[in-house]
Amino acid sequence: MNCGNYQNLISAYLDGELDTGTWRAVETHLEQCDECTRVFSDFSTILEFCDETYAAEPEPPNSHALWCRINNIIESELPETQAETVASEGRASSGFWNTGLNLSAGQIASAVAGIALVSSLLTIVAFQNLTTPADPLAGQDGEETVVEKVLADLGIGDSKVERNERRLKEQRAAIEYWKNRVEVRRASWNIETRVVFDRNLSEIDKAVSEYTRLLNENPHDTISNEMLDSALKEKMELLREFSEL
Amino acid sequence: MKRIPYTTCQPPKIRFLKGLLMIVAASAVFASAPQVLFAQKKFDKSYPASKNVRLNLVNRTGTVTVQGWERKEVRISASLERPFAQIEPQNLSGEIRINVVQDNHGRGEVGDVNFTIYVPYDSTVDIETRIGNLNVSNVQGGFVRAHITSEGDVSLANISASSVSAKNLIGNIFFDGIIKPGGTYFFKSMSGDVNIRIPLKSSFKLLATAPSTRNIALGSFSNSSMRLLGDGRRVVGKVGGGEASVTVENQRGTITFLRR
Repeated sequence: MNCGNYQNLISAYLDGELDTGTWRAVETHLEQCDECTRVFSDFSTILEFCDETYAAEPEPPNSHALWCRINNIIESELPETQAETVASEGRASSGFWNTGLNLSAGQIASAVAGIALVSSLLTIVAFQNLTTPADPLAGQDGEETVVEKVLADLGIGDSKVERNERRLKEQRAAIEYWKNRVEVRRASWNIETRVVFDRNLSEIDKAVSEYTRLLNENPHDTISNEMLDSALKEKMELLREFSEL
Repeated sequence: MKRIPYTTCQPPKIRFLKGLLMIVAASAVFASAPQVLFAQKKFDKSYPASKNVRLNLVNRTGTVTVQGWERKEVRISASLERPFAQIEPQNLSGEIRINVVQDNHGRGEVGDVNFTIYVPYDSTVDIETRIGNLNVSNVQGGFVRAHITSEGDVSLANISASSVSAKNLIGNIFFDGIIKPGGTYFFKSMSGDVNIRIPLKSSFKLLATAPSTRNIALGSFSNSSMRLLGDGRRVVGKVGGGEASVTVENQRGTITFLRR
């Protein structure tokens, strides 16, 4: 499969709809391909944002019934003649160009202006991408994607630093979980396995403390940030895979 | 005066007791012999292979050696050490799957399993182990993946695959093969040496990071497009037309490119 195929699978991958083999193939490809990892990251950001927005505004139970009730109350409170007028107007021209939308001229003008504004923004973004094509090598130093930048600028997404912090926090929480699992299993290992496990964990911990120190000195050190992330991933993988023994 | 050997002067009773002791010792050795003789168990199985067969192996501990051969057959041989692990290969459509971790889950201590597996040249190889060495040679399928969760060396020799992934924590990684246009090659170690031996005419984009040692030796592959980033911790650049992608990360070790 090429990158295009993998990118088509990212959405299903995030939704957990892939079979094990395909899931693994996508995961392996994402480990190796930075372009697809960017697409994956964009998707994740958008999905996360949507989830948060959805969670923040829960729909009332049986919203359709609620709206019907509101509509009935409004109609019953209108004087009979006015209600008839509204009904006849409704029959004559059901809202905005017979689409059922009741929009005033001001609202239509605002909508048109909004669409124009969004189109302009998209054009500018596209133009910027065209004039400064994404350098696949330069992209490796952790530049923010366009979507991330736009979301962060609008104040509805996290900045890169915030995202990193959140990711590290999640990783550390996962590590704690797997550490506990390993503690349970450890007693059944032979002495050699225990020695090897401890030696490897200690090696990772050395790297983690080294990059943590470097990041304390320079929080914008992208390479140390990446390496810390990578070392924590390795730690999590080591714990997870040894917890299965 | 000629000295008489000590043994010949022993009284008959002592000689009898010594003889008895020797017989007891010999019996003890013979009694333990079956244990010594059967400290290892062998496993052998062969499967007819279709084109582009996939080998998927997850081992716990031990060495795994996979070799490509001209036969349309997958032959699995394993020597098992005590306490013997259970091995239950599955022959699915186009895939041979062995999962020693899953097959022995919850069994506590399990001995090493050392695999030697022959696969057709065009096979896809996906192997991993928790502890131990992984060796793959003469494979020309689409994909080769060799991951060690903890320590052990990865050796990939004479490989011609468009996707290669090798990983370990403590140990060396050696890749000797071809970089195919459009392919992706990924090598990652925490501590050890990563050596990549490829043809001089290879064409790839390179991202190599060795933050601790800053020891990235490009040899004949060094050119003016190479850029050092982060005070020499990372090298990025293109070799040839940059058609493939090579990513190497060695957190606390060295990275060396060698001409094939």
